[in-house]
Amino acid sequence: MLDYTFQFGQIVPYLPRLLDGAVVALELAVLSFCGGLLLGTVGAALLTFAGGVVRRIIGWYVSFFTNTPQLVQIYFLYFALPDMGIVLSSFTAVLLGMTLNAGAYLTEIQRAGFESRRQSEMEAAEVLGFSRVQQIRYVILPHVARVLFPPLSNHFILMTLGTSMAAVFGVEELTGQALNINSVTFRSLEIFSVTALLYIAVTLVASALLAVIGTTVFRARMRMF
Amino acid sequence: MPRLVINGLEARYGSLKVLDGIDLDVASGDVVGLIGPSGSGKSTILRTLVGLTPPAAGSVEIDGEHIDYAKPGDVRRLRDRLAIVFQQYNLFQNMTVLQNVMIAPTKIKKRAAAEVREEAVRLLAKVGLADKLDRYPDELSGGQQQRVAIARALALRPEILLLDEVTAALDPELVSEVLDTIRVLAREGMTMLIVSHEMGFIREVSKEVVFMDAGRVVERGTPAKIFDAPEEARTRDFVSKILRH
Ligand SMILES: Nc1ncnc2c1ncn2[C@@H]1O[C@H](COP(=O)(O)OP(=O)(O)OP(=O)(O)O)[C@@H](O)[C@H]1O
Ligand SMILES: [Mg+2]
Repeated sequence: MLDYTFQFGQIVPYLPRLLDGAVVALELAVLSFCGGLLLGTVGAALLTFAGGVVRRIIGWYVSFFTNTPQLVQIYFLYFALPDMGIVLSSFTAVLLGMTLNAGAYLTEIQRAGFESRRQSEMEAAEVLGFSRVQQIRYVILPHVARVLFPPLSNHFILMTLGTSMAAVFGVEELTGQALNINSVTFRSLEIFSVTALLYIAVTLVASALLAVIGTTVFRARMRMF
Repeated sequence: MPRLVINGLEARYGSLKVLDGIDLDVASGDVVGLIGPSGSGKSTILRTLVGLTPPAAGSVEIDGEHIDYAKPGDVRRLRDRLAIVFQQYNLFQNMTVLQNVMIAPTKIKKRAAAEVREEAVRLLAKVGLADKLDRYPDELSGGQQQRVAIARALALRPEILLLDEVTAALDPELVSEVLDTIRVLAREGMTMLIVSHEMGFIREVSKEVVFMDAGRVVERGTPAKIFDAPEEARTRDFVSKILRH
């Protein structure tokens, strides 16, 4: 049995700070996901259609970022770049690190989508007079969006949870705020259980929103929860 | 006047010679039926004509204009005049029926959307799908999808329509609705080159039937000649085998 008296009353005054932290976490997740999506789309398109050298370079990028811990990647940006005269705020360093990392994962995920494109649909488009770029724009990307919406949504949720790593660099997102409050109040169990609930709330709302967008806009096959 | 003239057309897949000197012509307003055993190269002829498979030799002329398949400009112009419908429909799965028909005229040919829409709706009504405009392909039967594919091809106002086994993937009860659509086009004077295993249909709509085997044209003539009095043994063999089914 847990021999502990929960005293949630003590942390109520700090709730607004936790909520602020949740907003920062979402900001980080959304911005790095969007940046990563852009990188990943270009990366996957190049992996599918470009020539050998470009493909090899993208392959290195993907292997590097998917085979090293994200924490180490951000440390590297945070400590190595200043030596080259580039000084980043901790928020920017984390954002940049998460974006590059997401770009690598989303390249991998989207490549599968590009490979699932139907050759026959491309041929139909070709004989209707579509250029290669028009085929990508009108036929492949909508198909890829549809097929990939569920796995991309999952990755976004993982990234939202992954933002807690930013606390290590002093970014005041949800986990960072929780650590701050903990060092003042020492009500660790209360603080971290509320923090966990906030993460759950954020991810549930995000999943539901994504499912609605996915099924209506992209006709993706996904479930609400 | 002959509209489509093919001379000595050759095509290969790697070292395999799939078309071995094909001579064929289709006059304006005529329907030519192309028949032959599986693997004889019927699909390859159509794919070569629309520039999906590069020819290894030979010449193709449309209305006296020579097509150089190595020139992207020639191929682009060619695709304004020739349309193809495939066995597997190949509709764009992410678009509704109406969008499938409208996309090439609006996005590629940059015609005004309102005008294209009107024409697309008329074409879809003609193929019997006026009530399916906003459906997605995966909500339609194979026969309906194939009729959308025909409407999509017609939306570019092609001068010549190539049909490759457009009923072969369909359940038997859906074949006739697609054949009816093609009959209407034939009556309206659409120039067509039709590959099909539906011998009764080929016999009925074709002005001329071409029998090919192993990458060559073996025999050509009126439907009556090819089906009732073929001169070549291979034609006789094929026709008797297939008519017995
Ligand atoms: N992509 C390809 N790569 C290699 N060989 C091919 C390819 N497509 C077709 N072939 C070969 O070319 C030959 C002609 O094929 P084609 O599809 O033109 O025949 P077909 O007359 O249309 O046959 P079917 O009645 O079965 O559709 C066949 O021997 C086939 O195996
Ligand atoms: Mg074929």
